[in-house]
Amino acid sequence: MSKQLADLKLALKSLGKEYAKLKTLPAAEKKSFGEKLNAKKSALLEEIRRETERAVSENLEPLDLSAPFAENAEKPTFPRGTIHPLSAELDLVAEIWKDMGFSVIESVQLDDEFNMFDALNFPQNHPARDSYDTFRTEEGFIPPAHTSTMQYRALTRFRPDLEEKGEIAVVIPGRVFRNEDLDATHEHTFYQCEGIFVSKTANLGQLLAVWKNFFETYYGQELNIKTQPGFFPFTEPSLEFQIEKPASLGGKGDGWLEMGGCGMIHPNVLKTAGIDPEVYRGFAWGGGIDRLVMLKYGINDVRYFESGKLDFLKEF
Amino acid sequence: MLISLNEIKRLVNISLPDDQLLKLIGSRLVEIESVADLFLKYKKIYVAKVLKTEPIEGTHLSLCQIDAGAKLNAEIDPEHENYIQVVCGAPNVREGMVAAWVAPGAVVPATFATPEPFEISARKLRGFMSFGMLAGADELALGDDHSGLLELDPRLTPGDLFADACGLNDKILEVENKSLTHRPDCFGLIGFAREVAGILGQPFSEPDFYRPLTPPSETTSKAASINSDLEISVADPSLCPCYSCAVFDVPASLNSRPAYLTPDDVFLYKSGMRPISPLVDLTNLLMLKTGQPLHAFDFDKFLAVGGSKSPNVRVRLARPDESLVLLDDREVALTDNDIVITSNDVPVALAGAMGGKSTEIDAGTKTVLLESASFSLYNLRKTQMTHGLFSEAITRFTKGQPAAAAPIVLEEALNSLKVSPKLRGCTASAPVASSEIAVTPETVNSVLGSNYSPELMTKTLENVGFRVSTASSKTSKTADPSEPLNVVPPFWRTDIHIKEDVIEEIGRLLGFDNLPLSFPSRPFIAPSLDPLLKLKTAIRHSLSGRLGANEILTYSFVSDALLEKANLDPENCYKIVNSLSPELERFRPSLLPSLLDKVRLNLKAGHRDFTLYELNQVAQKLYGLTPEGTPAVKTSLALVLPGDFYQIKSLFFELVRDLKPVLPAEFVLKPFGDAHLFEPRRGLAIYLKSGDLEILVGTLGELKSSVLSRFKLSGIFSALEIALDPCISASEPQLKAHEKPSLKLSKYPAVSRDLTLKLPVETPFSTVESALKSALATLSSSEALLSELEPLSIYHRKLSPVKNLSFRLTFRNPEKTFDSQEVSDIMEKIINNLSALGAEVV
Repeated sequence: MSKQLADLKLALKSLGKEYAKLKTLPAAEKKSFGEKLNAKKSALLEEIRRETERAVSENLEPLDLSAPFAENAEKPTFPRGTIHPLSAELDLVAEIWKDMGFSVIESVQLDDEFNMFDALNFPQNHPARDSYDTFRTEEGFIPPAHTSTMQYRALTRFRPDLEEKGEIAVVIPGRVFRNEDLDATHEHTFYQCEGIFVSKTANLGQLLAVWKNFFETYYGQELNIKTQPGFFPFTEPSLEFQIEKPASLGGKGDGWLEMGGCGMIHPNVLKTAGIDPEVYRGFAWGGGIDRLVMLKYGINDVRYFESGKLDFLKEF
Repeated sequence: MLISLNEIKRLVNISLPDDQLLKLIGSRLVEIESVADLFLKYKKIYVAKVLKTEPIEGTHLSLCQIDAGAKLNAEIDPEHENYIQVVCGAPNVREGMVAAWVAPGAVVPATFATPEPFEISARKLRGFMSFGMLAGADELALGDDHSGLLELDPRLTPGDLFADACGLNDKILEVENKSLTHRPDCFGLIGFAREVAGILGQPFSEPDFYRPLTPPSETTSKAASINSDLEISVADPSLCPCYSCAVFDVPASLNSRPAYLTPDDVFLYKSGMRPISPLVDLTNLLMLKTGQPLHAFDFDKFLAVGGSKSPNVRVRLARPDESLVLLDDREVALTDNDIVITSNDVPVALAGAMGGKSTEIDAGTKTVLLESASFSLYNLRKTQMTHGLFSEAITRFTKGQPAAAAPIVLEEALNSLKVSPKLRGCTASAPVASSEIAVTPETVNSVLGSNYSPELMTKTLENVGFRVSTASSKTSKTADPSEPLNVVPPFWRTDIHIKEDVIEEIGRLLGFDNLPLSFPSRPFIAPSLDPLLKLKTAIRHSLSGRLGANEILTYSFVSDALLEKANLDPENCYKIVNSLSPELERFRPSLLPSLLDKVRLNLKAGHRDFTLYELNQVAQKLYGLTPEGTPAVKTSLALVLPGDFYQIKSLFFELVRDLKPVLPAEFVLKPFGDAHLFEPRRGLAIYLKSGDLEILVGTLGELKSSVLSRFKLSGIFSALEIALDPCISASEPQLKAHEKPSLKLSKYPAVSRDLTLKLPVETPFSTVESALKSALATLSSSEALLSELEPLSIYHRKLSPVKNLSFRLTFRNPEKTFDSQEVSDIMEKIINNLSALGAEVV
């Protein structure tokens, strides 16, 4: 025991004698005398506690805190799992939409002519139907080229919500395919997220507000948006949607990022899905996920995503 | 498509600065890919007159004195007072000629904005100072004529800027064709300018000849009323909604053309075309202005090819055995999709795409048959792709030029030529009257979320040629927003059919970017969560979190070879008919082959401890179709790791434990016969309990060594694959029932005892485990007791007939602390209950 600690303990002991004096004091002085003694005692106890801890600490062997592990020991290991950056982003995107009140369902990877074209108001002889861009199976089934292939399914599945909640609000992330030769910026396999909102009062201003708000949440800042006229058979009016390049991607208020297409759902699409376009209106939008991830991490080659290389995956 | 900004400005009164105008066009009409400022390209190039030339002996060069205006003359060539000396190598240089002079310091336009711009200087040539140069067409980037100087109009004033004098002080907009696919009218200057006027909120004044005839139905009746003395037949009006043509003798005016650069030539160049011959140029100019292509046949050749005295024009589909030599000398085998123009049934032109060689007009052409028609864009698109034909004409035809425009543009061609046709004909079979579309201003505003007045909507539409009326024909400012506007689209807007189309026009022309943003007002009802996505996220968090696995994504398309390596039948998989390569031909029936394919490359990259997994969709023909008739697709979890059966089994149970909250159903493992990739003696099938049923959902275990060797892997690898959809449906009742989990909680301390049993080596572990479990269960029901059972070790000395199984049993009493005697009593009861096992307690 250090001398200091021994002195403190002695002082504590001597307090006992002081307490004995209490009995002899006149009643009027007892209270203030007692309080003083108690204060002294707790101060001493606190000092003893601190002194004891210090003594224990001083007795510890010195340790090289800058070393990664102990002498004569192996580095402690913890399993390090990794989530694919595309999955992580899809989850994040879905999470934001969920917070905004949207249901989330996944897009199907093998579909048919009806969902890809008929239900989306593509005219029978529309060139996209026999376009080489779209993959087809021997049976004529289609690995879809965009998540809009889910519009009919989503509209019919969530149609009861119109009665119950007065709206359909759903987003549909998923894997889609396009017959494109592979290079650093082109993938035949990629991810999109589609969104649908239907109500009695849905309008174009709301579409722009909602999609803008998503990107503001995603990038954590207010963003300017701008549009360009677009043309899709399944929306009318149709727009291309751009956001200001966010500061986190080096934007200085001058550049724009094209984020996808959108518009008011064509009345024929609603009609096909059994929704009366004279009563309800909807808007829909869709954009790519891969590019969001590439921009976020500065990935310059899209081929990494499906490479299955741990060297790449362990970066995330 | 290239559009001249000056030409737009000639048709529309524009006071906005160019950059703001271009921004508006970009946000309300079409994306402008680039803008070329020709003024910069033709900087320091001037109109100059050649005063005198004399040959430089022993060379092909001439020493020229040129006049570039008094100011430049004095400034550039200090040695001569009234002229500038230039050495010129062009054979056509002559006194009195006016040409473009590239001053010293100017960049040759043909090299402008290229990696190697060529700057002209003042330098000595053959002992003579030459200041700048006189330019040829190719150097000026106006065509590729290299034969001599480009002559300019002799009436031009020397010293003027070439760009100003020749209409090249202009900006050329390059427009993305793809984004105007649905707007055939915008493929002509008039249509484009009309839109610009509309965007600026100005009424567009239609050129006289293109002014829509009102009502539009009269357009057709007028065309039809044209004395049809030329026999035209169209096999199917949907292939060719209108065919109009006229036959006339080539007027003398077409036989000569100025030797110098005309404003029309410049217009063609600025539009990406070039002058060819007076007649062709005229048709091209009309096409550039109206979007309606024209084609000229040599009429005498036309008759000769058909072998008839009177013309017999027939438009029909080609027959597969027919072929045609095109203007570019290429012979194409026609298909039954191609539309052809025939003379007396002999094909003479590939409609909309290119004329035939046999009826080509040339210097000797005396009489012309001029065609202005519209064709099925769908057939023409296929023709374009089949034969690889990409011309300005077919680019326009494939957007669907309106039938009503054809006779109007033919009329204008005849007027410009000042000819009266000998014969003419027109098949305006179907009336092209646009029907009236009724839409209330209220609806417009509620769809756009805007607050535009009925008057503004009306004006916006009328500016671009729509006719708008109301039943009450109130013109006062207090128009009723609930009274429908009756909108008649102009004949060139073949894309306007329903009220949404009209709403789009109003929103677009007034600027979508001007719409007020607002959020939908919505009920506070939380969205439903998709159980499959929830499960996938839970799996990812367990595997990539606590269990240290690595998620990968691989292609959905695989090769037959890969499937065969994994003992899977390619015939059970959907085959992509237009796959990018045989490597990507089949939609995968399982994720495991793709995962196995990625193991070796990661081993080679130096990774040792990894667990690759993927969550994705698979499809097999055996799954059949959904009730909607689409292929049944399943979401699968597959995982592969270097390690043995027990490793994958432990990992599986750890995962199952993590998934309890979303997947409460109980899994059961059972032996299987054969499972493609899995070694039957080292694997188990995974079943899920759903009520009284056990549903097969997957397999786990070591992979067959034959499979591994095909993937060039040595050692032991284990894997699992589970179909997630049945797991979800099996768990649904339990999740819905909200069964309370039985929590083993007690505030009194737990007591553990280890128990080792010696048993014959063949006794399966499961037999012992279930005996112990039932012993514990018996005990729990009779006494207030909470218990847990944990296997500790399995000891078997090699070749010994017996093995030792050790377990740790943990007890808690919810009401009190056990004393050691009580625990010993419990252990004794358990051991007594185990007598049937025939085990010896060690």
